[in-house]
Amino acid sequence: MWRRADAGASCERARSPERGRTVSVIDLGGGVSWVHESFPETNGHIHVSVYLVDAPEGAILMDSGSFHHRQRLADRIHDATAGRGIGAIILSHSDYPHSGNIPAFRRDWGDFEIIASCGDPDLQGLPYARRTKIGDVTEVLGRRFVVLDPPLADRNHTTWVYDEASRTLFVADGFGALHAPGACDVDWGRLPEEGRAEGVHEFHAQTLPWLRYADPNRVMGALHAMLERHPPAWIAPIHGPPIAEADVDRYMADLSDALTRIAASCGSSE
Amino acid sequence: MPTETPAPTARTEAGWRRDVWPGIHWIQELGGHRAGIARAVLESGADWYKPGNELYVPQNAYLLTGERTLLWDTLSPASGHILLPALEELLGERPLDYLALSHPDVPHAGNTMQVLRRYPDCQLVAPAAGETHALYHLDDAMKVGPEDEIDLGGLRVRFPEATFLDAAIHTWMSEETTRTLFTVDWMGFPHQSGESLRRTDEIATVVDVGRLEEFHSRVMFWFQYVHPHKVTAATDALAVQFAGYGLAPAHGLPIPGADAAPYYERMNEVVRRVAAGGRGGVL
Repeated sequence: MWRRADAGASCERARSPERGRTVSVIDLGGGVSWVHESFPETNGHIHVSVYLVDAPEGAILMDSGSFHHRQRLADRIHDATAGRGIGAIILSHSDYPHSGNIPAFRRDWGDFEIIASCGDPDLQGLPYARRTKIGDVTEVLGRRFVVLDPPLADRNHTTWVYDEASRTLFVADGFGALHAPGACDVDWGRLPEEGRAEGVHEFHAQTLPWLRYADPNRVMGALHAMLERHPPAWIAPIHGPPIAEADVDRYMADLSDALTRIAASCGSSE
Repeated sequence: MPTETPAPTARTEAGWRRDVWPGIHWIQELGGHRAGIARAVLESGADWYKPGNELYVPQNAYLLTGERTLLWDTLSPASGHILLPALEELLGERPLDYLALSHPDVPHAGNTMQVLRRYPDCQLVAPAAGETHALYHLDDAMKVGPEDEIDLGGLRVRFPEATFLDAAIHTWMSEETTRTLFTVDWMGFPHQSGESLRRTDEIATVVDVGRLEEFHSRVMFWFQYVHPHKVTAATDALAVQFAGYGLAPAHGLPIPGADAAPYYERMNEVVRRVAAGGRGGVL
């Protein structure tokens, strides 16, 4: 794994190795763009990213990112939307690295709509949110999203959403992976192979502590069933690089190995 | 035995507080009536819930007052107007020395900044576990883990590992003088009108497996993916480690130490049920 001395290197000026210039947002196709930000941890960098989705009636932001990256996110969203800003946020869950910029962005761009899944928006500090439920098919700014029950999540009110138009599956805290410093702006399939699987393990071991008790077959079974019902062109995590359709099988194999290792750290499965 | 004696409560606008054990003061945010859970309870045939009653899944904060003072969690952002007056009433002229957060989840930490503004000399205490403290404004907090103890003068708090948790930055807390374990999201359960700010030994209804399941099948949704025996082994270990301790959850009513032992086995049955039947919904 990558050591802290390296991990301390900043991703703030991440450059595309192919294009040699500072990358603002990365187009995934279908009107979906990845606005990546990373944070240094002990064993690598962790993404704390957001996604922009073009909808007929405006731009939708998937989560709001962390206050830690607020100004850079705001600047890049401003640029990407030609100054119009965002018209709605779909919030996966009200955890601060996901929801921390909502008040500031509402000051910047007005009282845009918040779509959130929590059972009681008041308790989550989102009294103005439109509530969605698992199983809903909801329209936001003219674009349809399916609201899904996430097999990999920390907070109980987390939801994933599937964008039917682009076949992008937005997965919040699921499908994450740590990455090496300097590889902050490449998708998962283009990460250096050395350390890539370990990045999947490291992320899940530290971020979803309940996995120590999990039956990997149950978790993987639920994920495979979801991917079959909602086949993704991209899987779009907040805490990892996007995973292209061609790389999903490899990611799932690495994830299965990671879950098996994590579960083995907490006694026998017999 | 249940008692009809009114609990020593003091209302602070929409919120409530009381002394629950010596030196431990309980501040409760009820939230709204949970109609969906009430329907589920009625459909389950449970006999503890009276139709027509309001049903609550509360948030609890606890103020510990020895020679020094410590607040454990801060309720949700909807209840700053409950928490701060309660603190001012309980503390009077005394300072708040420590604000300890179980985890930076909105319904637990939602008034952190308001409390720190009101008590600017207060030391913020956060779990040592986890890697991303800076993303939660916790990088400058005093970090605590299982090896740490804070002596409040007359009360002593420790920070055992959170056995059942959602996020990585997380701790439980114990108070060793009264032998109380603060279990955060674990061991929560709904209550109804007339039971707010009562301990379990002061209510007339039973906190059975089904009642615990209503909460945990939502909040600990991940029980549906576990090997149940791994969870029950961890629960059994807690029952031994904290035998005789009272339980002070963040989303239920406190359970006296003399009554706590059967709750561990009830929780084991909850895990088996959720693993077999899936999650109950979202809270």
